[in-house]
Amino acid sequence: MEEIMKQFVEYPSDPYTSIAKWKENHKKKVIGVFPMWIPEEIIHAAGMLPVVMWRSNEAITWGYKHVPPYNCPINKSVVDDVVKGKLKFMDGMVFLRQCLQSQEVPFIVENNRPPAFEEYLYLPPIYHGDKASKDFTRDEFEKLRKRLEEFGGEEITDEKLNESINIYNKNRSLLRKLYDLRKQKPGILRGRDVLRIVWSSMLMPKEEHNKLLESLLSELEKNGYEPTKGKKVFLSGCLCIHPQLELLDMIEDLGMVIVDDDIYVGYRYFANDAEITDDPIGALMERHFIKTPVDPARGEIEVNWGKELVGKVKKLHADGIITLLTKYCPPHLCYYPDIKVELADAGIPEVLIEVEHEIISLEGIKTRLQSFKEMIGGF
Amino acid sequence: MGIEYKLNRLDTSGVGPLVDRHWRELREAKEKGQKIAWSSGPLFIYAYATPNMASHFMAGYAAYCGGRGMADEVLEAAERYGELRDTCSYHRLHTGMMAIIRKGWPISDERVVLPIPDLLIAGRFCTEMSHYMEGIHRRFGIRAVTIELPVCRKNEDRPRVEKYVTAQVKDILIPAIEEVSGSKFNEENMREIFRKWKETCIIRNKCWEFLKRKPALWTMWDYGVSIAPIFYAMGKPESHEYYVNLLAQLEERAAKNIPAVHPDGEKYRLYWDGWLPWAFLGKFIRMMGPHGAIPVTGRYPWEFFPHPEDINPEADDIVHEWIRLLYTSPNALAYHDGPWGGEEHVEKLLQDYSVDGMLFFSSKTCRLWNLGQQEIIANIERKYGIPGVVIDGDMIDSTMVSEDQIRTRIEALLETIDARRR
Ligand code: SF4
Ligand code: SF4
Repeated sequence: MEEIMKQFVEYPSDPYTSIAKWKENHKKKVIGVFPMWIPEEIIHAAGMLPVVMWRSNEAITWGYKHVPPYNCPINKSVVDDVVKGKLKFMDGMVFLRQCLQSQEVPFIVENNRPPAFEEYLYLPPIYHGDKASKDFTRDEFEKLRKRLEEFGGEEITDEKLNESINIYNKNRSLLRKLYDLRKQKPGILRGRDVLRIVWSSMLMPKEEHNKLLESLLSELEKNGYEPTKGKKVFLSGCLCIHPQLELLDMIEDLGMVIVDDDIYVGYRYFANDAEITDDPIGALMERHFIKTPVDPARGEIEVNWGKELVGKVKKLHADGIITLLTKYCPPHLCYYPDIKVELADAGIPEVLIEVEHEIISLEGIKTRLQSFKEMIGGF
Repeated sequence: MGIEYKLNRLDTSGVGPLVDRHWRELREAKEKGQKIAWSSGPLFIYAYATPNMASHFMAGYAAYCGGRGMADEVLEAAERYGELRDTCSYHRLHTGMMAIIRKGWPISDERVVLPIPDLLIAGRFCTEMSHYMEGIHRRFGIRAVTIELPVCRKNEDRPRVEKYVTAQVKDILIPAIEEVSGSKFNEENMREIFRKWKETCIIRNKCWEFLKRKPALWTMWDYGVSIAPIFYAMGKPESHEYYVNLLAQLEERAAKNIPAVHPDGEKYRLYWDGWLPWAFLGKFIRMMGPHGAIPVTGRYPWEFFPHPEDINPEADDIVHEWIRLLYTSPNALAYHDGPWGGEEHVEKLLQDYSVDGMLFFSSKTCRLWNLGQQEIIANIERKYGIPGVVIDGDMIDSTMVSEDQIRTRIEALLETIDARRR
C-alpha cells in the first residue's frame, strides 16, 4: 500500500522533474493543457502525453510583471512558470476560452516563451445546447486533431481516438470507484492522498495510472477499515487548481472527514465519460455538453449548482459543505451568493474558504474551520 | 514659473437630458405594456430594432449610475444581498439594483432604479456578462438568452467565429426576442437605425479630426461623455443633432484658434486604455489637466464604429451585417478588445493621434483588458519608445480607487516623457 502511494505521490511532489524525466525516458512529446475542458484524449491519440497545467509550488515573482495580482491563481501561476522557463520541457500547450482570464494567458505565453506547438480552442458554454454551438465545438476539436497530426507527423485515426477514449474512460471509472469507496468508508484515505491520486492522473500517463489504481483499489478492499467518527463534509468548488494539502490536513485534524467533492482536481475531472462510437470526435463534443456536475464557467442555466449540492449532501448524509473558492475566479464568485442562499434554505451548514496561489493565512482559515466545526456539532 | 494649464471644456451639456430621456422612456415603455430587454455586450441592437420592445444596454447603466454619483449606494445594496466584492462591479451594480427593487430598499435617487426586464440578452463577449444574467435569471426567474461572442485571438479565426455567432443570433436570439415581445423582428427598423447612425458617425469622425490636431481642440474626456448619444440614442434624431452641435463648436474653435488646453495647447498627448472611470471622470482629469496632459484617444471609446463607411444599411443580410462589423470589418471590436488585435489597434491610434505616453486603466474586477496590458506596454515601448503605465482602479466602485496611487503613476509617466524629450 505504502509502495503504491509512493508512486502516486511522485508526480504531484515535483511535476516539473517527474514529467521531464518521463519525457527523457520515453522520447515522446509532452503537451500542457490548460484546465478545465480540453479533451486530452485527442492529444493522447496523437502519441503524446497530455498534462494538465497546475498551480506551481513556489511564490509568484516574475509573473507579476505580466499579470496583475487580482487575477486568478492558475493564470498567475502558469504565466510565472512560463516566464521563468519552468515549463520549457513542454513541447506544446493548448489553451481555451472558458472564461475571460483563460482566454488571454496565451498572449502572454506567446510574447515570452512560445512553445513549439500551440493551439487555442474557442470552447463555447452550453446554455442552449444548440446546433450551432455543437457544430462549432466539433470543428474546434477537429482543428486540434489536424494541428496535432501536422505537429506529430502521424494520422490520428478514429480507431486511435477510440482507444484513447477507452483508456481515459477506464481511468475515470476507476477514480469513480475510489470515490464510491470513500463514500462508503469515509476516512479510508486521507484527503491529501485522494487529492494526490487525482492530481497524479492529470500528470502521468493514464495507462500507468490505471495500473496503480487497480492495485490500490484491490489493496483497499483487502485492508480492514475502522469507521471514522469525524463529521462528514463535502468539498465544493476550487476551479482549475488543487487546494493546498495543508488545508485538507487541517480539515481532518479538526475532526472532520471529507466524504466527497465536486472540485476540479477531484470529481469534476473524471465525472463524465465519452462514448465509444464510430464518431469519436462527436462523442467528445457531446461530452462537452453534459450539464452535471454544474460548471459555473459553462453556463448551465437549467441545472442549479446549489440544488445539485443540496441533493448530494442529503444523499451522503453529510454534515456540511466547505466551499473552496479559487480567489478572483469570476464564474464561481458570481454563482456563490445563490449557492449560499440555496444551502441556507435547505438548512445545510456551509463555510467559505478562499484558495489563493499561496496560503495567505493558515491561522485565519483555521479559525473559520473551527467555528464551522462547532456549527455542525462537536468541539 | 511653469505654465498654468487650464482645460477649455466643450459644451457637452446636451448629453444629460438625452440620457435622462432614454431611461425615462424605458420606464414609460414598461408602463405602456411594452416588453423590456436588458442586454450586455453588443447584441442589444436586435432588441432595439424590434417593435414592442425597449432595450437597456447594461454597460450604459453603469456609466449612468456612476455619472449620477449613485454607484456606491447600489453596490452597497449588492453586498447586502450577498455579492462578493471581487465580482465585477457592473455585475454587482445590476444585481444590487434588482435587490433594491425586490427588497423595496430605499434609495436616494429613484432614477437609477430601472423596470424589471422581461428578457435578458447576454452577448458573452466577456464571460462575466453572462454570469450576471445567469444570476438574475436564477434569482428572479427572468428568461435569459446567452450568445457566445468570443473575442478572437488570430485574424484567421475571425470568419469562422463570425459564422458561428451569426447562426446563434438567427437560431436562438431573434426567435426569443420575437417570442417575448410578441412581435416580429423588423429588418427595416434595423436598416433605418444603421442609415441614421452611419450619418451621425460620419459627423462624429469629423469631430475626431480635431483631436488629431496639434494642439487638440477637445479631449477624449469630452468624447467619453459624448459616447452616450451614439449608444443610447443610436439612429435617433437627437443623437444626430448632438453631433451637429459638437462639430459646430469645434469648427468655431478652429476658426478662433482655441485649443483644448489654455493658454496654447497641451504639453502631453496621452492614450487611454480600457474602460473610462465613469464615476471618477472629474477626479482623473483634474490630475492630468494642470500638467497640460490630456487623453486624446483610447481603445474603448474608439470602438463605436470608427469606420461608418463600412456600415452597409442595404446589406442583403442585415442580421449578419452587425456581426460582420463585430468580427470581420476592418475595425472589428471582437478582435480589438482582445490583446492580439488590441496591440495592432493601439499602435494605429498612437500614430494617428501623435501620442506621447500611454495610461492603461486596469479595473480590479474586470479582466477584459488587464491581462494583456503589461505586455502591450512593453511591446510598444520597445518598438516606438512611447512609455506607458498601468493604473489600477475601478470604473464605479470608489473603494477600489486610490487617488494617491493614480496621481503618482500619472506623474511618473509624465516625468518619463519629459526625460525622453530631453
Ligand atoms: S480559476 Fe476561474 S477564472 Fe481562473 S481560469 Fe479557472 S475558471 Fe477561469
Ligand atoms: S468583467 Fe468587465 S467586460 Fe465583463 S461585464 Fe464586467 S465590466 Fe464588463
